[in-house]
Amino acid sequence: MFIIKSIFQQAVVALMLAAVVLLTPEASARQVTDGIRRQIHVPDNPVRVVALAPSITEIIFALGQEHRLVGVSQFSDFPSEALRLPQVGSYIKPDLEKIIALNPDICIAVKDGNPRAVADRLESLRIPVYAVDPLDLGAVMTMVVQIGDLLNAGDRARTIVTEMKSRIDGVRELVKKTKQRPGVFFQIGFSPIVSVGKGTFIHELIQMAGGKNLCADFTSYPRLSREQVVALLPDVLVITTMHRDVTIDQVKAEWAGWSQIPAVRDNRIAVVDSNIFDRPTPRQVDALEQLVRIIHPKLFKDSQ
Amino acid sequence: MTAKPHRLLLRMAVVSAVLLFSLAVVMVMGLSLGSTHAGFDAIVKTLTGSGDSDPMLQAIIWHIRFPRVLLAALVGAALSSGGLVFQALLRNPLAEPYILGISGGAAIGGIIGILLGLSRFPGVTLTAFAGSMCTLMLVMIISSGQSILKKDSLLLAGVMVNAFCSAVIMFLVSMTQDSRLHNIIFWLMGDMSMTDLHQVGILSAILIPGFILIFCLSNAMNLLLMGREMAISMGLQLKTITLTLLVVTSFMVSATVSHCGLIGFVGLVIPHLLRMVLGPDHRVLVPACVLGGGAYMVFCDLLARTLPQQGEMPAGVITALIGAPLFIVLLKRSNR
Repeated sequence: MFIIKSIFQQAVVALMLAAVVLLTPEASARQVTDGIRRQIHVPDNPVRVVALAPSITEIIFALGQEHRLVGVSQFSDFPSEALRLPQVGSYIKPDLEKIIALNPDICIAVKDGNPRAVADRLESLRIPVYAVDPLDLGAVMTMVVQIGDLLNAGDRARTIVTEMKSRIDGVRELVKKTKQRPGVFFQIGFSPIVSVGKGTFIHELIQMAGGKNLCADFTSYPRLSREQVVALLPDVLVITTMHRDVTIDQVKAEWAGWSQIPAVRDNRIAVVDSNIFDRPTPRQVDALEQLVRIIHPKLFKDSQ
Repeated sequence: MTAKPHRLLLRMAVVSAVLLFSLAVVMVMGLSLGSTHAGFDAIVKTLTGSGDSDPMLQAIIWHIRFPRVLLAALVGAALSSGGLVFQALLRNPLAEPYILGISGGAAIGGIIGILLGLSRFPGVTLTAFAGSMCTLMLVMIISSGQSILKKDSLLLAGVMVNAFCSAVIMFLVSMTQDSRLHNIIFWLMGDMSMTDLHQVGILSAILIPGFILIFCLSNAMNLLLMGREMAISMGLQLKTITLTLLVVTSFMVSATVSHCGLIGFVGLVIPHLLRMVLGPDHRVLVPACVLGGGAYMVFCDLLARTLPQQGEMPAGVITALIGAPLFIVLLKRSNR
């Protein structure tokens, strides 16, 4: 008798649990189309958000919605307050267990980067995944609005986008004033020499900033030999670094012997912070303005 | 050997029971430990399914850790029984699918499958199988000129084929420019983190018939070890059995490689340890390798995901860190 009763009790508990699990997401859910045109159910007012990429973290902070964040991807270091949040593994290798332990009501993921398998597993565990697909600067603005709408911060998102647009227009106006298009060699890190080709953010930024990307005809992230770089005869060398301790002097020393390169001869070598260049966030407008300053220093001085 | 069948049965039962128990223990450990920490009570509640367990912990244990632990057990079982079969067929204690380049060949096939955009099953599994068969044939052809019995020529052929495979893998990886690259690299190092019960089901449907077949042929392996002439005089169809076993184990290894990349030295460590303890009878060794290999792999995977503070390391790193030094010790000893 006792056994039957306890089985019955267990069954009731199990059913109730199942009901809770089944009903909660639906209870206050709306259907939206995410950044890659999937129909998903999301909570009306997400309060436990996990950002699966540093760029998403940045955008949520920019929207002033950081109180909704319960977890962020590793290397989410901007703004510095983000470092205090629990980390759920890296961008390319999220830690499923940690994500689930945070009990999120939505995860925001990036299509190219976060593995599809992770999104599928999360969804099979009834955690909605909102995917974004920032392929160029225009798409970054779309993404800011999408995330803004998702987190009920649409107005703030539109303000950010308006400001981004006006700053981009400013750069466009400025660049129009000259026909000069200096050849830019953009180097990601030191060794091996990797540059950027067509179809990347940085390529787009170089073009917008009035430069000519010398690697435009290569694959997205081509690996080059020093010989090839010399043969390209860049007017400007831009090098990104993830290490703050690498100084401009070290970089210049690397290239010092190659005075046949115009950029080396004219001392036009710049070191920039990789995070603002390759993260799809509003800060890419900062990157754009920085590039104009590097590629067209005179133009920029005149406009001030 | 066949004089006292009931004693053999008893030994098999005792050995299997002991190893099954240790497999169960590490599996429970694998379910209980991970990157999130929960109290002992909560875990016991969730594992036994009694009372009001936390639904979050339930999801973590049953949807994330459980498929993974099962996968590790299957992979370990397949790789160590694969090693056992190779060592018997080639009559070489140092033969192992990874060392002989069979896994490497499967990895090449697997990468090609991934780059072609095939699904994991049956697409990538079949290209991996094709790759492993190619390298198997290559190793056989290279070493056969001087007779398979010479273990140095076989190992050398394996080392060369393996080096060639690594070069081809590097070439393929360096040609890949997009976001698939990271996935391929993690997969190559032996990654089990992204599995679900569906995949585990497919893999077990491939592997379990393989285990049964190997077990059925375990007495034939005993006879093979006594020498070619002896085996033929006992009425063994040498070629058929050798071929069947090689193809079946290569297929099993390819299936594991296409699921979780290159995991080396499991097929070396486990059969050796068990042979030292249990003696050379394959009728005992086959079930022992299946269970012991599974337990070992679950344990290595547990280390891989609990040792690092942030993130996790690939399980293949752990097995190689343990296995490679052991390989050197065994090589030193067998040369004496």
